[in-house]
Amino acid sequence: MTSVGRLLTARLGISILVLLGVSMLIFAIARVIPGDPARIALGPNATHEQVDKLRADLHLNEPIWKQYGYFLHDLSQGELGQSLYTNRPVTTDIAQFLPATLELIIVAGVLMIGLGLPLGILAAKHQGGTIDNLVRIIALLGVSAPSFVWAVILMLLFAFYLPLFPIAGRIAVEFDVPTITGFLLVDTLLDGQIAAFVDALRHIALPAFALALSGIGQAARLTRANMAETYHSPYIEMARSYGFPEWRIARRYAFKPSLTPSLTIIGLDFAAMLGNAFLVEAIFAWPGLSRYGVAVILRKDLNAIVGTVLIISAAFLIANLVVDLLIALINPRIRYSRGRV
Amino acid sequence: MTHPLLNIHKLRIAFRTHTKQTDALKGISLHINSDERVALVGESGSGKSVTARAVLGLLQQQRGIEIGGRIEFEGQDVALLKDSERRQMRGTKISMIFQDPVSSLNPVFRIETEFLEVLRRTNPKVTLPAAREQAEEMLRKVSIDDPHRVLRSFPFQLSGGMNQRVMIALALINAPSLLIADEPGTALDVTVQDQTLRLMRRLVEDHRAAVLLISHNLGVVREFSDRIYVIYRGRIVEEGPTGAVFADPIHPYTRALLAAVPRITKSGIPKLVDDISQFTEPCEIHPARA
Ligand SMILES: Nc1ncnc2c1ncn2[C@@H]1O[C@H](COP(=O)(O)OP(=O)(O)O)[C@@H](O)[C@H]1O
Ligand SMILES: [Mg+2]
Repeated sequence: MTSVGRLLTARLGISILVLLGVSMLIFAIARVIPGDPARIALGPNATHEQVDKLRADLHLNEPIWKQYGYFLHDLSQGELGQSLYTNRPVTTDIAQFLPATLELIIVAGVLMIGLGLPLGILAAKHQGGTIDNLVRIIALLGVSAPSFVWAVILMLLFAFYLPLFPIAGRIAVEFDVPTITGFLLVDTLLDGQIAAFVDALRHIALPAFALALSGIGQAARLTRANMAETYHSPYIEMARSYGFPEWRIARRYAFKPSLTPSLTIIGLDFAAMLGNAFLVEAIFAWPGLSRYGVAVILRKDLNAIVGTVLIISAAFLIANLVVDLLIALINPRIRYSRGRV
Repeated sequence: MTHPLLNIHKLRIAFRTHTKQTDALKGISLHINSDERVALVGESGSGKSVTARAVLGLLQQQRGIEIGGRIEFEGQDVALLKDSERRQMRGTKISMIFQDPVSSLNPVFRIETEFLEVLRRTNPKVTLPAAREQAEEMLRKVSIDDPHRVLRSFPFQLSGGMNQRVMIALALINAPSLLIADEPGTALDVTVQDQTLRLMRRLVEDHRAAVLLISHNLGVVREFSDRIYVIYRGRIVEEGPTGAVFADPIHPYTRALLAAVPRITKSGIPKLVDDISQFTEPCEIHPARA
């Protein structure tokens, strides 16, 4: 097996163990928090008998390890149970709400990488220059307030006082886009609706930017620091002594070795965005997983809570896996280290 | 050819920051003829690396540096060249070997990539297979028996001595007329260092390259070089054919360096407290030798 293949299998195995651990934890926590899910679902007017019947249907009177066994059995069939809030399978709910959240996070991630890395590279090349200062300001702004505060500020500035962008939602109501992938930016294009695509893009711009801001700053600052350090390394001096042009040294000699720490931080930022997306979604009325997640937690909708948390954990693990693979691809030292993963 | 390959005339270099000024070179003169092996010896901080970097034209583009005097390569005043023309010389006519071979090779490049990049300096159209072939031949010359494996390796997969040989092969593959070796292998152990120099000596004879060998250790350069310059605090304090300098060192600093020779360690020269007054203000070149 290739070393990357070995790394991938090892990490996948660990990821599955982690997911199992998370499922046990959240399964227990969801049952410990106060409130009777059956009573909440049926409302104050339901009779005792009705509530007892629902509790029995949900196996809530049985020991918790038995309940977990039912859960694992469902999971092995690809099922996460029924939501008491929507009265639909949890998998159906997640399939409906997850794409909106993923779309938001992916666009934010593209912004983070697409702006953060180039800004960092330019800042390192022209230290003390305009871009260097700009990077410093963005990084400072990014850490000075959490993304939901930036969501409010951006909304006020660029959707309210200066109505350049729509204030909320994913797309204007007049567009009728068939659901193919669930990603509006993809579905509009697949359906050939350019105007709808542009509208969806304008809707996603502010929330994605609010979510990405701190990541852009961090990625840029870290890239700048690493590039600056790499520029002082002996192999850059050697490249200079061999007369390679500066642009080639920047692109070929300095960039790749400097990238590893930036990728690591980008991976962490992706994970942070999964959490931050909840509040940003709430502010921009983004119909993603957050609204569903908050609703089911308030209703103690056990299956939905466990399902939502599991999906978010899985997304988190996949993001980390992708980052680790990328790092292994650019860093031969990691790629060729045996046994370590 | 009437002029030497490299002629440094009263080179002065000062580094200036807003707080202070460091006079790294205070007017050194030095020349190297074609095919000649010349050593520049002096303790750490005496200005050896600065000299090498100035010859390569690496300092000229930096900020806060004052350069005086002249550097002529092949009779051409390097200061009169454009940055791009100076860059053009590097890696083709002049190449350099660095102190630490492991960290001087790019950690994310395979050795073959380094060769390809370096070969492209003289022949931009060279293909990877052609580069591999040339590189294998060169690696065999530096006594690497399995060049194929080495070419496919990354620097961290090779030993320090192996990386050192790779560096020598890289430095010579474009057949430069001047090779500058700045304390080659000092980062490695003494036996490897010794091997390196012997290998280098054989190769530069084959390739008819002139060498400027930089070292802080007189003992190291004895067998290697035709002539020696001793540098002390930015000044050349002694120069002459290797035999003469060893037989009859004139400057007290050279004697101190010679006294340090039997101990081939990295600790450099012994304590000079006793007779330091004799050479704290060195003259250009000792009158007896000049
Ligand atoms: N880029 C630089 N900026 C400021 N001072 C420098 C720089 N490079 C070298 N120097 C100074 O010049 C002097 C000579 O350095 P160097 O040539 O590296 O010594 P060595 O003989 O050990 O190679 C030292 O005092 C060093 O501090
Ligand atoms: Mg030095």
